[in-house]
Amino acid sequence: MTLAIAAVAAVLFGAGSYLLLQRSLIRVVAGIALISQCAIVTIIGSSLSEGRAAIDPEQGGPLSDPLPQALALTALVIGMGTLALLLALVHRVVVAHGTAERDELRDVDRPAVVDPEGAGRREGDETE
Amino acid sequence: MADATTDATTDASVAPTSRPRLDVQGWSCCAAAAAGFVVCLVGWLRGGATVSLPWAPTLGVRLDFAFDGLAALYALLATGVGAVVFGYGARYLSQHLADHGRPRSERWRFWPWMALFAVAMVGLATATDLVLIFVFFDLTAVCSYFLIGFDRERREARTAALTALLVTIVPAVALLAGAVLLSATYGTFSVPELVERAEPGTTTTVAGLLIVVAALAKSAQVPLHFWLPRAMEAPTPVSAYLHSAAMVAAGVLVLGRVHPLLARSEVVLTVLLVVGLTSIAVGGVLALGRDELKQVLAYSTISQYGYVVTLYGMVGAAASGAAAFYVVVHAVAKCALFLSAGAVTTATGEDRLSHLGGLGRRLPVLAGATGVAAATLAALPLTGGFFSDELFFGAAKEQGPVLVVAAVLAAALTFAYIGRYWMRLFLGPTGTTPAPLSRVLVVPVVLLALVALVVGVLPAPITQLAEDAGAVSHAAPVALSPAYHLDLRATNVMALAAWTLGGLLLAVTGLRDRASRALAVAGDRLGPRRAYTASVLGLRRWSGRVHDWETRDLRSSIAAVLVPAGALAAAAFASTPIAQAYSVGPISGTDWLVLPLLALTGVATVVAARTRERLSIVLALSAVGFALAAVYALQAAPDVALVAVLVETMLTLVFLAALARLPGTEPRRESAPRAGRRWRDPVIGAIAGLGAFAVIWGYLSEPREAPSVSADQIRLTPAAHGKDVVTVIVADFRGLDTLGEITVLLIAAVGVATLLRRGRLWLPRPGRPGARRSSCGWSPGSCWDRASWSPSP
Repeated sequence: MTLAIAAVAAVLFGAGSYLLLQRSLIRVVAGIALISQCAIVTIIGSSLSEGRAAIDPEQGGPLSDPLPQALALTALVIGMGTLALLLALVHRVVVAHGTAERDELRDVDRPAVVDPEGAGRREGDETE
Repeated sequence: MADATTDATTDASVAPTSRPRLDVQGWSCCAAAAAGFVVCLVGWLRGGATVSLPWAPTLGVRLDFAFDGLAALYALLATGVGAVVFGYGARYLSQHLADHGRPRSERWRFWPWMALFAVAMVGLATATDLVLIFVFFDLTAVCSYFLIGFDRERREARTAALTALLVTIVPAVALLAGAVLLSATYGTFSVPELVERAEPGTTTTVAGLLIVVAALAKSAQVPLHFWLPRAMEAPTPVSAYLHSAAMVAAGVLVLGRVHPLLARSEVVLTVLLVVGLTSIAVGGVLALGRDELKQVLAYSTISQYGYVVTLYGMVGAAASGAAAFYVVVHAVAKCALFLSAGAVTTATGEDRLSHLGGLGRRLPVLAGATGVAAATLAALPLTGGFFSDELFFGAAKEQGPVLVVAAVLAAALTFAYIGRYWMRLFLGPTGTTPAPLSRVLVVPVVLLALVALVVGVLPAPITQLAEDAGAVSHAAPVALSPAYHLDLRATNVMALAAWTLGGLLLAVTGLRDRASRALAVAGDRLGPRRAYTASVLGLRRWSGRVHDWETRDLRSSIAAVLVPAGALAAAAFASTPIAQAYSVGPISGTDWLVLPLLALTGVATVVAARTRERLSIVLALSAVGFALAAVYALQAAPDVALVAVLVETMLTLVFLAALARLPGTEPRRESAPRAGRRWRDPVIGAIAGLGAFAVIWGYLSEPREAPSVSADQIRLTPAAHGKDVVTVIVADFRGLDTLGEITVLLIAAVGVATLLRRGRLWLPRPGRPGARRSSCGWSPGSCWDRASWSPSP
């Protein structure tokens, strides 16, 4: 069971990473969604069921660990907030620039290439 | 102190041109160093003390300080020579800044580093914990970086500072590695405890070699000596302090501190002997041919610390005591020589022997004091140098004929180069006429020369100090008896032989200069400096290339995080032994229902990653979410399952709403990706996934701590008037967290609302003129009001 949970979490993380590298912002957002699913699966996986649900402890008997579940709840809700914000950002980008492609966005707000940083680095070239 | 402002002239009668104001910082440093000297002296006379405070107890690192003989010797040197040099520097720095047209406030870039350096030196001398030694060791290197690069407008000074930093700080890591190695085997970082516990063997040898590498680099020994001649770009007080009594002494100080450990390995001792003798030879021969004053002195320092390293390589009471004695005498003499070189350069504006000469007639006091210092290096009688060489010869005599010959040759070489230096500077035809010299620049030289003379007549106090220090290095009592004997005993014969040979070397100028030049050329062609330059330039090029690639676009930046993180984390987890590592875990009961759901999650994930239809992405994502919600329900986590269903429903709706304003399919690239590029993203994703797999599997396999916080929370739940433990945790036990979470959600909601309303939270009232136009964003043709997205042409 441990192995199965780890494998699914790894697939989620790998696919999320792959999507993060894509050019389309929508797919990047989907990648972030998958990675946060991976985090939640891992947290729940660490409290693999040792008993019944942690409700009414006075009945006795083994209970599953409630703390990771509380943490997973937090992670779920925060993840939703993050995703909603990201989607709104993507939407705004599309409205403002007419595209959700990273390569096309790259040159939108960039002034003519001056590269002051590169020049600074060359000046500080202090070895020999 | 009044001397700082009087500007009186010692050797000439011409009035000075300027009257710089009192250097308060410099004189306070001088006073502090003098006070420190007195404290150290009293501490030594009262028999020392030890302090031991916990620093990082879980790591076994302690703040262990011991004011023993070795600590007393180096602390007295650092504060005593420091006080003299700081007094000299208070006058010198004003002149230096005025000459370079820099404001007086630049002193703030100088004196704090000097003071910190002195403190670090005293700390290093007294520290007996290897980690603490490493910290002070590096602190001196950092101070030296800023001091050597004080004239930061000059490229040479900046380069020299960087070289000194890199060449001393990179090998210092070896010291830390050696310390960790010893601690892993013997369970302590404390040097005295290690001396008790360490056995001869491979671990001790390897750790000893690692520590020796760091110490030798610091003491500018061949082949890591090249930073020292370059560091002569520093202002004279820095050279006089760092490169005679402090920074280079730090290396041999560490050798002296850990010497009982080093003496347990023949290999380490042999390395010390070979490196020491090579350094004596290389430094001495190169010093014979140099033209710049401070370069001669720098190579001389390399050679002189070679003596000390050689002495540490010969094991024995006599050698340990002689090494300590040698360090004191050399530091005093070399500091005087550096200060006199600075005074000469200040007076004449020249720093080359070939442009100078005959200064003895114009600056007789300086010539006399410098002569005493030079005689000390040349080991002439009536100076402390005679005794240090007597002890050196005595120690060499015990080691056999090879070292006797080597010792005589080394002393002859020293005699020749320092004789050449003094004669070229103060005798012969006048090269450059000197300007008047401030007394403050001459008095310290005279003072140090007097110390050398006093040691030459009354060696008892220094002998006592050296015996105490040698006892620490040798881990047994040491007795030294330096004295004049008017007979033909071995040490006297060796000294006579050295002077004769040295005199001969002085006489055959042609051969001598040719040999020195040949060695210098060979060193430039094949030497370690070339390798250093090539490696630094290569690293810089490589770093530039990696940086360019990494910052090319967002994708590269993400990959630059994912790939190394995945690879390193996987490697770390794979190589760390874990209890019950990588267990498959039992499968029972509802788990048979969970497995298909997990499989479904996997498939949906792959679909989400592969599809180009945006609707399919959303549907695959919600399939993942709902399948996982079912998994949570079956894993006895009903609260999480309920929230997951809610969240997934909302997310799916939000996604769909967003998609309504976006095109349905991902645009295909116009041109097919280049061969090799097509596989790049999947490979990066696979590496990240495998890294995550190793980490998560390792983490989930780790057995949990038995008494966890959860047990308390379960127990307390009825007292909180709740039945569902998870709910009680969220609402009560971790209520503050939940409050923070709600705040985050609120901020996210405000952000979403703002973004959906064209970047502003409150719309202007429709009746206002101009409101309509301003609502169209900042890019024409991209207005929200067009309701549907249209691809850009």
